[in-house]
Amino acid sequence: MIPEIGQFALALALAVALVQSVLPLMGTARNNVIWMRSATATSVLLTVLVAIAFGALMWSFVVSDFTVVNVASNSHSLKPMLFKVAATWGSHEGSLLLWVLILVIFGLGVSLLAQNIPLKLKARTLAVQAWISAGFLSFMLFTSNPFDRVFPAPLDGQDLNPLLQDVGLALHPPFLYLGYVGFSIVFSFAVAALIEGRVDPAWARWVRPWTLAAWVFLTLGIVLGSWWAYYELGWGGWWFWDPVENVSFMPWLAGTALFHSAIVTEKRDSFKSWTILLAVLTFSLSLLGTFVVRSGLLTSVHAFSVDPERGIYILALLAIAIGGSLTLFAVRAPQMEGGGLFAPISREAGLLINNLLLATATATVLFGTLYPLLLEAVTGEKISVGPPYYNVSFVPIMLVLVLVMGVGPLLSWKRADLRGVLARLKWVAGLSLLAALAVWYLDTGGPVLAVLSIGLAVWLLGAVLTEWAGRIRLGEVPLAESMRRARNLPRAHYGMVVAHAGLAVCMIGFVGSSAWKSEVVLFAEPGTELEIAGFDVRFEGVEDLRGPNYLSRMGTLTVTRNGSYVTTLRPERRAYPAAGSSTTESAIRTTLAGDLYASIQEPASEDEQGRWTLRILYEPLVVWIWIGSGLLALGGVLSLSDRRLRVGAPRKRAQPVPAPVVAE
Amino acid sequence: MIWIVFFLMAAATFLVIAFTATGGGRAVLSRRDSASAIFADQIREVERDQERGVITAEEGRAAKAEIERRLQAIERQAEADPAARRSGRALVLAAALAVPAVAAGLYWQLGSPDIPSQPFAERAGEQAEAREIADLAERLKLRLLSEPDGGKTEGWALLGQTYMRMGRYEDAAEAFARLQERPDVTSALVSQYGEALVYAEDGIVTPKAGRAFDRALELDPANPAATFYQAMAMEQAGAPDAAYDLLTARMDAEEEFRPWMESFAAQLNRIAPAAGRPRVDLAEFAPAMPGPTADQVAAAEEMSDEDRQAFIRSMVERLATRMQETPGDLDGWMRLGNAYSVLGETENARDAFGRAQKLAETLPQTDPRKATIDRALSELGG
Repeated sequence: MIPEIGQFALALALAVALVQSVLPLMGTARNNVIWMRSATATSVLLTVLVAIAFGALMWSFVVSDFTVVNVASNSHSLKPMLFKVAATWGSHEGSLLLWVLILVIFGLGVSLLAQNIPLKLKARTLAVQAWISAGFLSFMLFTSNPFDRVFPAPLDGQDLNPLLQDVGLALHPPFLYLGYVGFSIVFSFAVAALIEGRVDPAWARWVRPWTLAAWVFLTLGIVLGSWWAYYELGWGGWWFWDPVENVSFMPWLAGTALFHSAIVTEKRDSFKSWTILLAVLTFSLSLLGTFVVRSGLLTSVHAFSVDPERGIYILALLAIAIGGSLTLFAVRAPQMEGGGLFAPISREAGLLINNLLLATATATVLFGTLYPLLLEAVTGEKISVGPPYYNVSFVPIMLVLVLVMGVGPLLSWKRADLRGVLARLKWVAGLSLLAALAVWYLDTGGPVLAVLSIGLAVWLLGAVLTEWAGRIRLGEVPLAESMRRARNLPRAHYGMVVAHAGLAVCMIGFVGSSAWKSEVVLFAEPGTELEIAGFDVRFEGVEDLRGPNYLSRMGTLTVTRNGSYVTTLRPERRAYPAAGSSTTESAIRTTLAGDLYASIQEPASEDEQGRWTLRILYEPLVVWIWIGSGLLALGGVLSLSDRRLRVGAPRKRAQPVPAPVVAE
Repeated sequence: MIWIVFFLMAAATFLVIAFTATGGGRAVLSRRDSASAIFADQIREVERDQERGVITAEEGRAAKAEIERRLQAIERQAEADPAARRSGRALVLAAALAVPAVAAGLYWQLGSPDIPSQPFAERAGEQAEAREIADLAERLKLRLLSEPDGGKTEGWALLGQTYMRMGRYEDAAEAFARLQERPDVTSALVSQYGEALVYAEDGIVTPKAGRAFDRALELDPANPAATFYQAMAMEQAGAPDAAYDLLTARMDAEEEFRPWMESFAAQLNRIAPAAGRPRVDLAEFAPAMPGPTADQVAAAEEMSDEDRQAFIRSMVERLATRMQETPGDLDGWMRLGNAYSVLGETENARDAFGRAQKLAETLPQTDPRKATIDRALSELGG
C-alpha cells in the first residue's frame, strides 16, 4: 500500500504543479490577487506531496519491498542500512525524485522566506518553478516511474555493488543535486524578470544568496566525487576530465561567473543582461548535466536510441527550457534599462573580464564534452577528449583569470587607479616570479605550465593577502587599530578572501600532484623492495581476512626513509561473494607535503600465484586540493552568512579619467 | 483501506487549494514598496559601515546619493498600481476540483492498487521455501557426488535445471558440465549446458557456449534452442542479418505451430531493425495454430448454423478444460478469451482475459501481448 500512496502523491503533485504553472501567471496578467497568491499555497502543497512520495520510496528501500521494481533492481536485503537509504537516490528513477524534491523545497523557500519581493515577481517566479516541476514530474511518471510494481515479487534484490557502497558516494548525488537545483531558483527569477521586461531591486537582492548557496553545495558535491575517485578507484587520480565530471563542472564555472556578476547587479545596478544570461545558462547546463548522465548518452550515443521514449522526452524538455529561455532573453534583453557607468579600469571592468573568461572556459569544457558525442552520432567514430586538450585550452584561460583575480579585488568601484594598485602588488609579483624560478630550478626542464601555475598561485595568494592587509591598514596604523578593522570587515569580504586563497591552495595541489607525481607499478612477491620519492617500500606479504560481508586480502608494506621507520601501509582487495565483485581499498599516508598511495591487485593469472600487482604512487601536495576546496566552500558559506546588502562605494574622481563605458 | 487514504489525500489537496480563494485580505506588496524597503535597508547598511569605519564618510555620502538616485528612478517608472482585483474565486475552486480528478486519471493509468506491500522481513514463508529448495538442491548434489558412478544423468540434469530456476547460473553450468562427456548425453542437455553458460555471462554467447550449441545440433539438428543461441551469437558478432536468416529458416522448416516459435518471433522482431529486415508475424509461420484442422474447418463450413455453433463450442470447451490443467499458459488464456468473444459470451471472455492479464503483469511493458489483452478487455467493457 505504501508504494501506491507514493504513486498517488506523485499524480496529485503533477496536477498541482500544472495549476501552479498557469493560475499565478493569469493572475499577473489580469491583476488578480487571489490567483497570484495561490502560488504560495500550491508550493507548500507540492512540497508535502513530493515529500510523501519520496518518503514512500525510501520506506520501500528501507524494508526491502521488492514488489517495487526500482527496489528490486537497485537494492538487496543484505545491504547495510545506510546504503539502503542511499539507494533511494541511487537509481535513475530515484534520483529524479530526489531532484524534484529539492526543486519543490527551493520553491517553498521562495514562497515562505523571501519577504520584500513584489507579489507579481513572486507569482511569476513560482509559476516558472512550477513549469520545471511539471516537466520533471511528467517525465518521471510517463517514462521513469519509481513506483512501478512487480508481482509476484522477486525473492531478493539484484544490486549489491560494493564499489558504490561508500559514504562519499552516498552523499555525492544529494550535494550535486542541491547545487544543480539551487540554480533553478535563480533561473526562475531570471525568466520572471524577462517576462516582466525589467529587473527589480528585489531581484538583484535575491540572486546572489541563492546562487551562493547552490554554488557551495555544488562545490562540495564535485569535491566528494573527486575524493571518492581518488581513494576508491585505486588509480590515485582525482580528476579525469571524464564527461560525467565535466557536466557537473560546467554549471560550477557558469555559476561562479553568475554570482560575481550578481554582485555588480546588486551593488551597482548594472550587468543586468549578463546576470540574467548567466542565470539562464547555469541552470541550462545543470539540466544538461542531469540529463546527459541520466540518459545513458555518455556510455554511447546508441544507449539513447535503445530507449527512444526517454530520449525524445529529454530532448523536448531541454529544447523547451533552454531554447525558450534563450529566445525570451534575445527578445527582452535589449529592453533592460542600463545601469551605472564605469571606467575601463574599475572593479566592474575586472568582473566583466571575469565573466568573459569564465564563460569562455565553460564553452571550452562544453566543446570537449559534447564533441565526441556529436562525432559518434554523425560518423560513428569513437574518440575521447582528455587532459591534452584541456591543458592547451582550458588551463591557459584559467591562468589568465588567476592573473586578473589578483588585481580585481584591489580595484575600486566605478573608476580605479591601476598604477597605484600595481605598485602595491609589485613585491607580490616579485615573490611569485621568485617562486616560479625556484620551481624551475628544482625541476629543470620541467613542464612550463607547472612553473607558471605555481607562480600564479603564489601571485593570487599574495594579492589576496595584500588586499586584506590594505583593508585593515596593517603596518600603517597601530596593530590594535588593524585588529579592530579586521573585526569590522564584513563577512562577505572574508568570504572573498578565503575563497580566493582557497583557489590558490587548490592550484598548488593540482600542479604538485599532476606534474611531480611518481608512480611505480610492478609484480611483487613477498620481500620485493622498491624506492619511490625517497621512500623505501618493502612488500611483506598478503594475509586473508574475513570482513562482515566480504573476504579481504590485505597486503602489508613497510615504509622507511633513510633507514628509519615511517609507516606501514595496508592496501586491501575485498571480494564480495554475494555481489560477485571486488573493490580496491587503497592505503594512503597523507601529509601536507604529499600522499604516499598504495593499492594492490590479485595475481594476474592462475600460474602467477604469489605475485601481486602493486601500484605505489607518490603525489606531492595532493591534500592541498581538499584543503583548498574546503576553503572555497567555506568562503561561500562566510559570504552567505553576511546577508546584509551592501552598495559599492565609489571613490570620488581624483583626476580626469577616460570616458566611462556603458556596462552592457 | 487504500481508497480511504487516497480519498483523504485528494480531499486535503482540494481543501488547501480551495482555501486560497478565501484569502486576499492582506495588502499587496507593489514593486515600489518592495524597492523602497530594500533601499532603506541598504542606506542603513551604508550608515553602519560608515560608523564602523569600513568606508569613509565621503564614500558613504556617494553611496547614499547613488541609492537615492536609484529609488527616484524606480518611483518615476512605477505606474500607479491599479486596484488589484479579488474576484475569480470560481476559477480557483474549479482548479481545486480539477487537481484530484487529474490525479485520479493519472493513477488509473499508472497505479497497481491491488499489489500489496511486501517488506522483506514479512516474507519468511517464501524465504523458508527458497531455503528449502536450496537445501534440497544441496542434498541432491551431495548424494550425486557420493555415488560411485558419478551420479545419475537425470539427477544432474534435475539439479542443473533447479539451479537455473534459482538464478544460480554458474552452479547450473557446473552441474550440466558433468554430463557432457557421458555417452548418454542428449542434445537437450548439451544445449541446456550452453544456455547456463550464456546466462552466467549476462547473456553473452561465449566461444565455449557456442561450441556446446554446435555439438547440440550435431546430436539433433532439430534442437530449436541451439539454433536460437547460434543466431544470438551471430547477432552479437555483428551479423544481425545472418541471425535473422537462420531464425526464419528454422521456423520455415516447421509444418505446424510450435511453442518455441513465440520466442523466435520475438527475437526476430527485436533484431529486425538492426538487420534492416521486415518484422514478422507469428501467424505467417504457424499456419496451423492448435485448434481445428483444415479438414474440420471444411466440415464445419458444410454444417448448419446450429451444428457449427455446437462444434465451435465443443472446441472451446476442450480448450477451457485444458486451461484448468495448465493455468500458467498465457497464450492459451488469450485464445480462450478470443473464442468466447466470438461466441458472444462476454462474461467468460472477460474472465479469460482477466486471467491472462494477471499472468502478463510480470512481462516487460513492451510485450505486445499486454496491449492486446488491454484492448480486448476494454472492448469487452471490463
